[in-house]
Amino acid sequence: MPRAPATAAPLRRRAAACALLPALLGGCVGTGVQDVLAPTGPQAARIADWFWISYALAVAVFVAFAAILAYGLLRARRRERRGEPAELPPSHGRGLVIWGGIVVPTAILLTLLVLSAYTDRRISRLGRGPGEHPVTIQVVGHQFWWEVRYRDPANPHREFTTANELRVPVGRPVRLVLSARDVIHSFWVPNLHGKMDLIPGRTNDLVLQVDEPGVYRGQCAEFCGTQHAKMAMLVEALPPAEFAAWWERQLRPHPTPVDSALARGHDVFMQNGCGLCHSIRGTEAHGSVAPDLSYFGERRTIAAGTLPNTRGHLGGWISDPQAIKPGNRMPAVPLEGDDLRALLSYLHSLR
Amino acid sequence: MATLDPALAPDTPAGDLHLLERTWSAPRGLGGWFMHVNHRRIGRRYIATGLALFLLAGLEALAIRTQLAVPENDFLGPEAYRQVFTMHGATMMFLFAVPIMEGIGIYLVPLMIGARDMALPRLNAFGYWMYLIGAVTLYAAFFLGVAPNSGWFNYPPLSRREHELTIGIDVWWVVVSMLEVAALVGAVGLIVTIFKMRAPGMSLNRMPIFVWSILVMAFMIVFAMPTLMTTSIFLGLDRMVGAHYFDPAGMGDPLLWQHIFWYFGHPEVYIMFVPGLGMVSMVVATMSRRPVYGYTAVVLSLIATGILSFGLWVHHMYATGLPRLGTSLFTAASMLVTLPTSVQFFCWTATFWGGRPRFTTALHFVLGFLVIFLIGGITGVQLGSVPFDLQVHDTFFVVAHFHYVLLGGVVFPLFAGIYYWWPKVTGRLLSERLGKLNFWLMFLGVHLAFWPQHHLGFMGMPRRVYTYLAEMGWGTLNLLSTVGAFTVAAGVGVFLVNAAVSLRRGAPAGDDPWAAESLEWSTSSPPPPYNFRLVPTVRSRTPLWDPDRAEQPVVVGLRDDQREALSTTLLDARPDHRVVLPGPTIIPFVAALAAATPFVGVLFGLHWVPIGAALTFLAFTAWNWPHHLGTRLEPEGGPEHRLAAAERAREEAEKARGEEVRR
Amino acid sequence: MTAARGGARLAAGAACALALAGCLRDLDPYLDEGRRHTVAGGEPGAAPEAMRRYGCVSCHTVPGVRGADSRVGPPLAGWSRRRFIAGRVPNEPDELVRWILHPQGIKPGTAMPDMGVSDQDARDIAAYLFTLR
Repeated sequence: MPRAPATAAPLRRRAAACALLPALLGGCVGTGVQDVLAPTGPQAARIADWFWISYALAVAVFVAFAAILAYGLLRARRRERRGEPAELPPSHGRGLVIWGGIVVPTAILLTLLVLSAYTDRRISRLGRGPGEHPVTIQVVGHQFWWEVRYRDPANPHREFTTANELRVPVGRPVRLVLSARDVIHSFWVPNLHGKMDLIPGRTNDLVLQVDEPGVYRGQCAEFCGTQHAKMAMLVEALPPAEFAAWWERQLRPHPTPVDSALARGHDVFMQNGCGLCHSIRGTEAHGSVAPDLSYFGERRTIAAGTLPNTRGHLGGWISDPQAIKPGNRMPAVPLEGDDLRALLSYLHSLR
Repeated sequence: MATLDPALAPDTPAGDLHLLERTWSAPRGLGGWFMHVNHRRIGRRYIATGLALFLLAGLEALAIRTQLAVPENDFLGPEAYRQVFTMHGATMMFLFAVPIMEGIGIYLVPLMIGARDMALPRLNAFGYWMYLIGAVTLYAAFFLGVAPNSGWFNYPPLSRREHELTIGIDVWWVVVSMLEVAALVGAVGLIVTIFKMRAPGMSLNRMPIFVWSILVMAFMIVFAMPTLMTTSIFLGLDRMVGAHYFDPAGMGDPLLWQHIFWYFGHPEVYIMFVPGLGMVSMVVATMSRRPVYGYTAVVLSLIATGILSFGLWVHHMYATGLPRLGTSLFTAASMLVTLPTSVQFFCWTATFWGGRPRFTTALHFVLGFLVIFLIGGITGVQLGSVPFDLQVHDTFFVVAHFHYVLLGGVVFPLFAGIYYWWPKVTGRLLSERLGKLNFWLMFLGVHLAFWPQHHLGFMGMPRRVYTYLAEMGWGTLNLLSTVGAFTVAAGVGVFLVNAAVSLRRGAPAGDDPWAAESLEWSTSSPPPPYNFRLVPTVRSRTPLWDPDRAEQPVVVGLRDDQREALSTTLLDARPDHRVVLPGPTIIPFVAALAAATPFVGVLFGLHWVPIGAALTFLAFTAWNWPHHLGTRLEPEGGPEHRLAAAERAREEAEKARGEEVRR
Repeated sequence: MTAARGGARLAAGAACALALAGCLRDLDPYLDEGRRHTVAGGEPGAAPEAMRRYGCVSCHTVPGVRGADSRVGPPLAGWSRRRFIAGRVPNEPDELVRWILHPQGIKPGTAMPDMGVSDQDARDIAAYLFTLR
């Protein structure tokens, strides 16, 4: 029965986010920190509505019970002081228990139950009507990152893979097909919708829609091991035209760089075995056990939403991933200084 | 008015009191320490061990809160954090709450129903030893740095071998299995005791409400615990011999675990909570100086809670993608289960209303329980809703919710119970002044610690994270929460001081310091080894408040030279037959060692399973070897005296056969 | 009486100790204890956020900055007592700012990348590092 974080709290929090989160989210406008009660999608909004109704009822229940209890205690104490005998007319007691203990709670519970079922129906209907073709994105959970595959049932050549950051069109239902490679994870972006588990051997789906352009953060919500805490993801909502253009861009393979510094970075990447785990479309790097790095330069964050994607952070991450996220699957790659810097330049050139 | 003075029963000569004392007294010495079977000894051990583990789990909670107090803290590393939060949960759920509630039941139930001991004393002792061995095994692993690390819920596939090689997970399933054995035998002992050992006249509808709550708890244990044992052994098979119960690649299913685990896990919550409700009813009645309003409603509520709690497990699994229709049924059930509790809330309110409440520390804790549990119950109703749960499931909102429920519904009633029954157990009073300080620190601490966590849940903070980025803005509320946790700890510290002072120089309590209603207050504090010099009979729900208590009959014809007790019929508690209860014996301890061998041994190699099974078979063969139960003590004095005593015993037996109870 | 005298002696002792401590602080530069450097235009308070943003923290352990516990590069504790930067140039404010802006300019081949730090941020960071004793 939590108190309303009134309107001031989200505002203050948004203000804090403006100051600090740009570092993490890449300085875009309309950035929401994780917040269940600041919905930007229809489902999160309906859930928040249900919460506020239940909250109002909860306050009423709490106040009413506290008042009855306090009144009873005070009355008894007053009688005691005056030396009057204790008494409880049987009808009073029966009335309390039947009305207070059964009738009123049943009415409140039925109200909540009906509203809950109604909310449930409405949020589960989004994007499932006949003739609706939501954008389909497959999300596969890994310890401790998200594999994201954009699906096009009509044309498999238009499909591609990325990681940890989803881009979606504003105002259109997006169907997420959820599964997991190793253990159970849970996909959750609080401002958009509730969570859904990613379970090995099963497929779940979650349809959501974003109403306002912006970047929304979410993180894994089912304990998945040592680095459960650092398994976040970003959802960036783009205007539909921009989204379509972005999709087109993703389909282009990367040519081998000609610029000598970038070419050196490319060679460092290939020669140090990075391509055994990671892949970059258009090169011989085809690994599939670690995040896809095609268009890595576009990413806002590294290490699954943990650090801003800057040269400094990336250099530290490649040199010693275990210091930043102990227990993750990436080994440290020993490189010479020049090679490291060339690699950073190459990775950031992938855009 | 309440004491049963031997003088009131002139045909039981005072000379035999000494014999009775010797018959029921505990064995001495170090060896004797392993041979106790008396319910009060075993109950006290359960309670002391449970409290010690409560303190350990509390320290783990402080470690968790210290780590989370500020963003990106490095007080505990990620692996240490995993182990500590797992230990906190597993200790509180498996090692503290259930055993301590059973322990209190084991201590109090025979006293409340006017029995001299539990029905199955050896089994009872065996249960305690299994519990202790389990607890020691778990904490040995913790101190060796290989504690279980995947949560008290231990979901596969994370807990399968390919993801977690650590022996900690094996320790988890082994210890849990042992603890379930302990809980089950404890529950069986309680059920048999409650059904068959009640004082004549204490029909089921005259049982103290606390005894009802223990009965409901025990039945829930019998129905819930075997499923957990089964599933943890499935997990053991997966890990040790490569079975595929939970392996998606081998046609297994990780969700199977969640269904079975929560089929146990949800009732588990009520297993801890129902005895708390029973304690609250006792304290409310005594402190209001009138019987609880609506006895029948309260008892039926307890039973309804016990039954309904088996139909809620899916509300832990809304986010696993189960079919919507099914989940809405569980929403309805989750809301329904609050009704029995709301009935009890209003029965207690009506009791206050028509009573003359005394604001003792125990009553403070009851009122604290009402407030805290009400909040936890309300958030519980909210969590029953599928859409809302999808948002806050596995966030700190849920952490706040169940800490409100468990601190409110288990710890506060437990403290109410401790303040209430402490004088009976120790013979000394606790300081009311320190008690109030204890209460206020804990009451304020709970809100400070857990209220902010509701907000953290809304702000998107998931559970079980060892750290969070400074930019998330969760720092302030987490710091508040940590301060609250330390405040609760300070409250517990005050309790420890209060307890220590009381033990050293507390004021003597007398038999019945609260002028209470139920039979345990009719005997001395602490009770003698045989509980009641004269086994009482009962005519009402509040025997000690009967105006003609002193004239009521007592049971005669029980032998003083062996541990004899009266067994009564199940419904009406009519005298049925006399049973001889076993006296001190080493067998339960040996049997527990043997029975623990396959469990603990399997951590070191599969070959220990057959060896342990063989040892267990031998131990239980010895247990069941035909022999006389206990030892008959010789009456003191010469042969003549002995003859006279035997003669009298025979007479009494005949008399008892004809007319067990003087009416 | 004796108590009063004892108290006076104690006070005198404390005063002496304080005076001595004051002298020692004046002698600081000579005693090689925490030479004080000021960085023109540097605001140390702004540095921790900047160091998290650019990613200094992913390689260096920096006292007082959250999330900085990596050992990829040298720990920066006690920076003001360092004599050299990268073993090449004296640890002076201007040199430090130059190093943060363009490490390659001072030590070609170093693994420390050019992170695109703005001039103001570099001054803030340098100022902060010189507060580390």
